Amino acid sequence: MTSAGTLARPGLVLGQSMALRYALALAALVAALLFHLSLNSPLSLADQWGLLWGRPPESFEDFQFVYAALPRVILAVLVGAVMALVGSLLQQVTQNPLLSPMTLGAASGAWLALVCLSVWAPALTSDWGAWFALGGSIVSVVLVLLIAGRGGLSGLPVILAGMATHILMGAIATAIILLNQYATNNLFIWGAGDLTQTDWQWVTWLLPKLSVAVIVLLLAPRPLTLLRLGDAGAGARGLSTGPVLVVLLLLSLWLVASAITAVGVISFIGLITPNIARNLGARRAGDELVFSLLLGAVFLLLTDCIAVAASGWFPDMVPSGTAAALIGAPALIWFARKRLSARDQTALELPEGVPRVSRRTWLLAPVVLLALVLLSLCFKPDAFSFLHPLQSLRWPSDLVLSLRWPRIVTAACAGVGMALAGLILQRLIRNPLASPDILGMSAGATLALVLFTVFVGGSIHEAGPFVAFAGSAGVLALLLVLGRRTQYSPGIMILVGISLAAMIEAMVQFVLAKATEDAYTIIGWLSGSTYRVSDAKALWLAGGTVILFGLALATSRWLTLISAGDAIAEARGLNTSRARLLLLVLVCACCALVTAIMGPIAFVGLLAPHVATLMGARKVWPQLWLAPLVGMVLMLFSDWLGWSLLYPKQMPAGTIAAILGGSYFIFLLARRRLR
Amino acid sequence: MILRGAYRHLVPWFSLCCLLLSGAARAEVTVTDAHGEHTFEQIPERVVTISWAMTENVIELGVTPVGVADIEGYNEWVVRPAVPDGVDDIGKRGEPSIEELAALKPDVIIISNGQEGLIDKLEQVAPVLYFNAFGAEQDNARAARRIFRETAKLFGQEERAQRKLDAMDARFDELRQQLHDHFGEALPPVTGVRFNNQSVVFIYGANALSQYALNHLGIEPAMDIPPSQWGIAQKKLTSLSQMSKDSVLLYFKPAPGVERLFESPLWQAMPVARAGHVAGVESTWSYGGAMSIRYLAEAMTDALLTIEP
Repeated sequence: MTSAGTLARPGLVLGQSMALRYALALAALVAALLFHLSLNSPLSLADQWGLLWGRPPESFEDFQFVYAALPRVILAVLVGAVMALVGSLLQQVTQNPLLSPMTLGAASGAWLALVCLSVWAPALTSDWGAWFALGGSIVSVVLVLLIAGRGGLSGLPVILAGMATHILMGAIATAIILLNQYATNNLFIWGAGDLTQTDWQWVTWLLPKLSVAVIVLLLAPRPLTLLRLGDAGAGARGLSTGPVLVVLLLLSLWLVASAITAVGVISFIGLITPNIARNLGARRAGDELVFSLLLGAVFLLLTDCIAVAASGWFPDMVPSGTAAALIGAPALIWFARKRLSARDQTALELPEGVPRVSRRTWLLAPVVLLALVLLSLCFKPDAFSFLHPLQSLRWPSDLVLSLRWPRIVTAACAGVGMALAGLILQRLIRNPLASPDILGMSAGATLALVLFTVFVGGSIHEAGPFVAFAGSAGVLALLLVLGRRTQYSPGIMILVGISLAAMIEAMVQFVLAKATEDAYTIIGWLSGSTYRVSDAKALWLAGGTVILFGLALATSRWLTLISAGDAIAEARGLNTSRARLLLLVLVCACCALVTAIMGPIAFVGLLAPHVATLMGARKVWPQLWLAPLVGMVLMLFSDWLGWSLLYPKQMPAGTIAAILGGSYFIFLLARRRLR
Repeated sequence: MILRGAYRHLVPWFSLCCLLLSGAARAEVTVTDAHGEHTFEQIPERVVTISWAMTENVIELGVTPVGVADIEGYNEWVVRPAVPDGVDDIGKRGEPSIEELAALKPDVIIISNGQEGLIDKLEQVAPVLYFNAFGAEQDNARAARRIFRETAKLFGQEERAQRKLDAMDARFDELRQQLHDHFGEALPPVTGVRFNNQSVVFIYGANALSQYALNHLGIEPAMDIPPSQWGIAQKKLTSLSQMSKDSVLLYFKPAPGVERLFESPLWQAMPVARAGHVAGVESTWSYGGAMSIRYLAEAMTDALLTIEP
């Protein structure tokens, strides 16, 4: 297990003297403040000084300084400091350097709450929006903490649980947005995270709520120091850290939820800052908290400077959150790359189910699949009634057939592709929670396609598989370079995944914030739809899937050996690093193929192999056959539900799959905890 | 596709025959969309429109479509002209139900920006006309007029379209006269915006239909926003301080929370707000067809007339 103590690397000159370190940080804060003000206000320093000391504002520039530039700077300091403080607290409590308020799903709950509010009760948004966001944020973090459980807080489980909740809530929000275009237009700026101010309202709203930070600073250092001795050590000194930590967590949750409510989604500050603080030599618990707080303010000020400057260059303004993510993602990978290694293998044990696949399952699975295909082909939603459900089934006309078969083929192949990718990845990393959508492989393809439409222009549907392959290959290259030293450890892969996912979200939110029609096209694509897939593309996908399935079958021996452990695999004469590399390429190919044709698909890669295990496919060979079957069933059912539920309105299969899969996943995790 | 190609060869011969037999009923129509010419043997009767702007055009031409995408959204955002009763809803604009659409047995399907990717699927059902209504490289308002005329040609309603366009131009003259009566010889420069929240604003620029309407009323833009596909730019609220006190700022409703914004000291310090040159425009769809330009001009003139010269 990683501990904060070993994370702080000595050797940097700055670490030698704490006083010097704080002096430099304070100087940086002042410099950042002045720089930010000089960028955001045309007034001279002397004028600014005069206004600060009570000269009444006269010109518009004076007013702009007092009511726009000053509150923005103060908000940046407050939010940056609080995010970093909470990040540091969370990382110390959980001894997990990858944890931050955002990885706990704080933003997604608030986003879902705001989307629901503005669709179903728009009149309440201006007065009650903040409280709904606060409530949503708290609910989602509590949900993630409950899913992960105390044992899961220190490793990957909590991060994966956070990602799962994030994807689930995001999918629900997307479904609502797609069905209610324009109603959520005014939210997109919040989603992109922006610090622009026009009065002191948010500062005065936020400041009292942040005052509990003082309690955190006073209360936290002692239990955190004890925690480093380990629970046993603390117990030996007659102290139970539990209750204090619960209070601390609740307070920090409140802090983060308030900050998010005020400025929207600004990620990375809370994640990176404590890591940098440790890197610069903050070793003791209290020191790390205070120094992170200081650094957080500096970092958010500096990234916001970029947003301010860029807004002047581009025809449209650039939200602060976009700048933070574009700088934060690479910075995170850079700072943390050496820190993560193969040792972080904390896996979540999921329920295992029956020991072997019964003959009945082997017979039943193809029957269910066939039944779903027939249902998708023959169902006529407008002829459906609960009294005579069978009357809604009739053999399709040629036209209906020609419209439906590409969808059915696409959904089925996407199910196979994602199931294979998930299966291989889970075997490779030996973590049942690993999934290509969480680990950044689909994300690479998605990012490439989104960037392509933003900067090159044109429809995302036309951008094509080559761009997607380029994106996936880019991620693969990144993984290879970063992962070679750590034998492609789960930590670095998840890190890349999280960073890319956040970058994509920032880019997407940036496009959405413009609130034109293109925004909805991109959201529609991102939710993974079979709707637009042409005959030719469906056939390409089918051919590609068959080849990839054949390749996956061919690697079954490698997979068996690798899941038994590297030592055993090497002893049996397998070149594990080469095998890993080839398997990773196979995973990337699966993801790129599916993503290019249909868009990103969440959860199928996670759940299909797992459900196959539950049904008894514990060995590689049966799992290789059963998991794709499960994936097909899930995708076919999602696709059918998507177009028939609200007919003639259609919901993308990917969104339905994410909602179904996400709910089932959270149910599984919750059941595990209740046992 | 083959059929369409064959038509293309037949067209000259056929029209020649028509000329020779002058007096025979003019049965065939040829219209030009973004992808070239399309010839219909007879005037299509059953039409399905998927984009809201095209729905608006068709209804303005007195044709009742058999199917329209997202009627609920249209009624909320586009508002006029209303969709007649009995028109079938075929689902959302991004992914309309092609099966529902096919059941309506349309003679023609009219689509616009955002739906170009559907053409292959839709052509299995009926001929498709795709109009490029919004693009950074074109003048959206000119395109709107051209598309309105082409659509009219399709339904044999050229006279009605011409009448409506003439009426619109005449209406522009009236509105300009009203404005001159109110403001005198020189009209103030005007810019239209939509408030996003307390700190961010969408500004209508060179390629927006509302800006075209203002130009035709003889009004200059108060801010220089370069043309873009939809004609808007997203800016910080403070960028509105560039507007001089002689210019007028029009904001489109609905604008929730605008009262609180107007009370803020920063807003009151803006030159244009200090001069009291701010007025709200009644809710009008900004991304519509040719006739929506007229509604925009009327609504904006109403708003301008509330401003003290």
